[in-house]
Amino acid sequence: MSTTAATGHSAGSNPDEVTSASGALGTTAEPVGPTGSSSPGAGPARSSSGLSWLGRVPRAVWPLLAFLVLFGIGGLIRPNLITVDSLIGTATFAIILAIASFGQTVAVIQAGIDLSVPNTIGFAALSFLAWVGPLGPVGAFVAALLSGAVIGALNGLVISKLQLTPIVTTIAMNGLLFGVILLAFNFSELTVVPDFVVAITSAKIEVFGITMAAVLPLGLGLMVVLQLILSFTGWGRSLFVTGSAAEVSRLAGLSVDRIRISGYVVSGLLAAFAGIVIVGYYQQASATMGASYLLSSVAAVVVGGASIFGGRGSVVGTVGGALVLAQVSTLVTVLNLGANIQQLIYGVIILVVISLYGRRRGA
Amino acid sequence: MSAVTPPVSRFGFLNGTGITRLRREGAIAPIGAFVIFFVVYVAINPSLLTRFQLQTAANLVVPLALVALGQLIIVLVGGIDISIGAIMSLSNVVFAVQMETMPVPVAILIGLATGLACGLFNGLLVAYGGFPAIAVTLASAFIFGSLSREVLDAPGGGITKEFYLATSGELLPFLPISLVWLAVVAVLLWLLLQRTALGRHIYGVGSNMESVRAAGLNARLTKLIAFGLSGVLVSIGAILLAGSTVTGDPRSGDPYLLSSIAAVALSGAAFTGGRGSIIGTILAACTLGLIGNLLFFAGINSYWQYVISALIIVAVVGIPVVWRRVAFAVKGARS
Repeated sequence: MSTTAATGHSAGSNPDEVTSASGALGTTAEPVGPTGSSSPGAGPARSSSGLSWLGRVPRAVWPLLAFLVLFGIGGLIRPNLITVDSLIGTATFAIILAIASFGQTVAVIQAGIDLSVPNTIGFAALSFLAWVGPLGPVGAFVAALLSGAVIGALNGLVISKLQLTPIVTTIAMNGLLFGVILLAFNFSELTVVPDFVVAITSAKIEVFGITMAAVLPLGLGLMVVLQLILSFTGWGRSLFVTGSAAEVSRLAGLSVDRIRISGYVVSGLLAAFAGIVIVGYYQQASATMGASYLLSSVAAVVVGGASIFGGRGSVVGTVGGALVLAQVSTLVTVLNLGANIQQLIYGVIILVVISLYGRRRGA
Repeated sequence: MSAVTPPVSRFGFLNGTGITRLRREGAIAPIGAFVIFFVVYVAINPSLLTRFQLQTAANLVVPLALVALGQLIIVLVGGIDISIGAIMSLSNVVFAVQMETMPVPVAILIGLATGLACGLFNGLLVAYGGFPAIAVTLASAFIFGSLSREVLDAPGGGITKEFYLATSGELLPFLPISLVWLAVVAVLLWLLLQRTALGRHIYGVGSNMESVRAAGLNARLTKLIAFGLSGVLVSIGAILLAGSTVTGDPRSGDPYLLSSIAAVALSGAAFTGGRGSIIGTILAACTLGLIGNLLFFAGINSYWQYVISALIIVAVVGIPVVWRRVAFAVKGARS
C-alpha cells in the first residue's frame, strides 16, 4: 500500500486519469473486498490485546451488520416486512441517498467536507434538463457532469490556494450556486426527462428474477467502482494519506494541493451525477431539491464509519450508513411514528456511532 | 493569541490598543467591507435612513447578528455548531408556545433556558465526551430540529402585538429597539470576553488547549460554559425573531445555520479557534443580511444576493492571503 501511496502524486489530478487508472485496475487487481477501506494505521490505536480481532474487522462491515439487525427487528415487529420487496424498497431509497453521499465521502476522506453538495445536485439536475434541448441527452449529461467537476475544482482551488476552511468555502459555493440556480433557470420548461436517464434510474428491470428500479444496480455498480479506485489506486490511497496527515504527506513528496483539488473535483462530479440520477428517479426538479441532502449526506458518511477528521472512510460504509438510515425510516413508517421521530432517531444513531468510534485520536 | 494579553488601559479604543486588538482579531476587513457596503447602500437608497426602512433593516439583521455571535463563541473555542439553526427553531417555538399561557417574563426565561439546555447538551458531549463538535452538533441538529417540530408543527404561537413593539418596534424616532437589545447583548458579551477571566479562558482554550490545561485552568469547563453561552445568545436571537415576525415557526432557524457560519467567516475569525471579534461579527452579519435589500433598491434581481455574498466572503478572506503572497514574492524578487 505504501508504495502506491508514495507514487500517488504522479497519478490523477483530474478525473480522466482516475478513470484510466481504474481501467488498468480492472485487469490487475484481485477483488479482495472492502478490507482495504480502513486507513493506514487505523487499527492499533484502540485495540486491546484480547479483542484485537475486533479492530481488524473493516469498519464498513458494522453499518451493514447494523442494517441487518434493524431489518431483523422490523421482521420481529411485522413478519411481512422480511420480504424481498421490502428489502428492495428500502435499498432503493438508501441507494439514492448513498449516491448523493459518495461525493461527500470522498471530500471527508481527504479531511474536508462538502456542504455545496445540495446545490450542486440542484444545479446539475436543472442544467441537465435545460441543456437536453440544445445539446442532446448525452451532451447535456456530459456538460452537467463537467459543471459539477468545475464546481468541485473551484472549491478545491479556494481551499488549497486561499486556505479558506472547507466548511466556509463550500458554504459560500452552496450559496453562490443557489443564486445561479434562481437566476438561470426558468422552471416552467423543465419537465421532460430524457428516456435514457429514466432507463438507468427509475425503469423497472429484472435481476435474477427480482424486479427493482434500475437505480439500485447502478448505485451498487458505482459503489464497487469507487471502492476499487479508493482502495487500490495511487490516487485513492493518496487521498487517505492526505486526509489523515497532510503535513506528513507533504514531506513525503505528495502534492497535497493537487490531491485536495482532485478530491473536490471528484466530489463535485459525483454530486452532479447524483443530481441527474435524482431527477431521473423522481421525474422532477426544483431549486431546493438538494436541500435535504445537506445534513443527511454527512449523516450517511458518518454513520458509515468515516472519520470526520479525514483519513478514514469508505463508499461501502456510506452505502451501509444510508441503508441504516433508510431502514430506520421504514421502521418509523411501519410503526406510524411520524417523520419527526425519524429525525430524532437519526440524531441518536449519529450520537451512538460517534460514541463508538468518533473520539479524537489521542484525546 | 495567548490567554495572557498585555495590560490594556481603561480607554482601550482611544489610545491605539483597541485598533491593535481589532487587527489581531481580524476585524479590520469586515469593518472595511461594512463601511464600503454602507456607503454604497446609502448612495443607492438614501431612504434607508428613514424611520420605516431603518426599522425593517434592523429587524432583519439583529437575529442574524445574535446567532452569528453564538456561532462565534463556538468558533472561538475551536469548534463549529451545525445545530445552531435547530437550536434557534427550538427556542423560537418553545417561546412562542409559552407566550400563549405564561406571563411574558417567564416565557422569555423558558425560551432562554431552552437555548441554554441545547448548548449545554452539545457542550457536555464535546467537552467531557471528547467528541468532535461537528459530529456532535450534526447529531443534535437532527434531534433539536425534530423536537421543535414536535413542540409546534406549523407556524403559530401566542406572540402579542405588545411583544412585537417591545422587541421590534421603535423606541425613539430613528431608534429601532431591536438595535438597542443587540447593543446591550454585544456590550455585555464584550465585557465578558475582554474583561473577565472566563472570557480570556475562552480565547485561550481555542488558541491553545494544551497550554491552558498545563496552566492549571479548567479547559473542559470553559468549553462547556462557552457552548451554554452560545445557546443563550442563539435563543435571544430566536426570541427577537419571534417578536419581529409575530409568530413561532419550527423551521425559522434553518437558514441561519449557513448564514451564521458565513458571517463568522466574513468577520475574520479563525476557524481553528482563539481569534474573532464581536464588532466584526456584528458588522459582517449586517453586510450579509442587507445585501438582498440593497439589490432590491438598486433594481437588481435580489437572487444576486447569494452570488454576491459568496464573492464577498471569498474576497474578504482571500485578498489578504493573495496580498501576503504577492508581497512575499515581491520581497523575494528584490533581494
